Amino acid sequence: MKFQTHLFIFASIFLGFWLDSVIAEFNIRTYISALENLPYLLETSIGFLILCYWIYAIPEKIQSSTAFFYGLLVDLCFGSAIGFNMLFFSGISYVIHVYVFRFRIFSYLQLIIFFAGSSMFYVACKYLIFSPENYSYLLLFCSFLMNGLLWLPIYFCMRSLRRGFL
Amino acid sequence: MARTTPTHTPAPKYILACLISMALLFSDVSYQAFSPLRSSVQAIGIYSQLFLETITSRLLEFTNAYEDQKTLTRLNNQLRDELQEIDNKLFLQEQSQLMSKSMIDLQDHLQVLGNQGEGKVLKIASFGLQDYLCCSQHILHLHSPPQFDIAINLPVAVDQTFIGQTSKKHLNLIEVILFSDTSHILPVKIQGLHCNAQGTGKPRLARCIVSEEFKRTDIQESSLVMTSGLGGVFPKGVIIGRVLSIHEISTKEFKIDIALSGNPLDHNYFGILLSS
Repeated sequence: MKFQTHLFIFASIFLGFWLDSVIAEFNIRTYISALENLPYLLETSIGFLILCYWIYAIPEKIQSSTAFFYGLLVDLCFGSAIGFNMLFFSGISYVIHVYVFRFRIFSYLQLIIFFAGSSMFYVACKYLIFSPENYSYLLLFCSFLMNGLLWLPIYFCMRSLRRGFL
Repeated sequence: MARTTPTHTPAPKYILACLISMALLFSDVSYQAFSPLRSSVQAIGIYSQLFLETITSRLLEFTNAYEDQKTLTRLNNQLRDELQEIDNKLFLQEQSQLMSKSMIDLQDHLQVLGNQGEGKVLKIASFGLQDYLCCSQHILHLHSPPQFDIAINLPVAVDQTFIGQTSKKHLNLIEVILFSDTSHILPVKIQGLHCNAQGTGKPRLARCIVSEEFKRTDIQESSLVMTSGLGGVFPKGVIIGRVLSIHEISTKEFKIDIALSGNPLDHNYFGILLSS
């Protein structure tokens, strides 16, 4: 695969993680005082979903080493513990590679459930490792719904980009 | 039927990647092994952000300064154009006033010269400057107004004196022969002495040849030279110049050079005395 293609894919993943960080910084509880006592419920995984799309769309081009390297770069760029995104990128890459042809016959709803569940697992592990005191099932449920809603827009947006540029 | 769709997915590579990742994650979470590296990357990011912000602010400042300068330059040009326009208007107004004044003055002078006679102010059409400065033929042309018939041999005046007379008419142009033309002869009177002043072919210079009778008069340099009216064209008693110099040609002949007062080069409008 060409370097430009790698650059393009990583740029889209980077953009997704950047959006995640922007959304996380925009804490709605600071604007609505009634929500001050509620736990933080909004945790998106746009970057993770974009990576999932690329592995799902071009599995032959994104192998273990690529996912590993992307994870390293994301860990370095976004200041998370080295190894966290590497681990999950490699793991999800393996799972998608194994079931890639089965995913092709899945309906959109099945895809939504799978990828929303994957991202929920990602969020759950993230909270368990880095912030266990804020871990809650409500947060996971909200994240599941939110990432499920986000999957289809990401899917179509990335598909149009892939067809346009790659 | 297989439980999973067969794909070419080498599991050992993924297992190795996961193991390495887990080892790195464990070392980082437990022992902060990569904290310096992470801090360095974050520092680089922050410095890059600051650098970009500085560059952007400088660029914005430069753009704003450039825009300001462009606006000021445009304003300056606009003001300069307006000022130039005002200057032009004032100049034209001034010239128009001067022209009107000149024409009015000339009309008044014509009335004085013609003893309350009728006069006509005409604009110059062309002037043979090269001939005027070098040669014997001193002629200028005036625009004749349409449907206005001007006869030949009429006095032509500027300021308060005459400079020549109409000689020909071509279509709407009137030819004026000046006193300094060698073919023009003007009867004049100098301190009671009558003589014929003939043009010399030099600008504003005419000449009288007089006999020894001259010695009985008190003609001297700067004596006034006036029209005698004997030619029938010019009214008598109008000063046309002064005696410039007197030379003796022979024992019986003297040459009086006359500096003519009227300068055709200084005027755009000339008056023609229609009747006196």
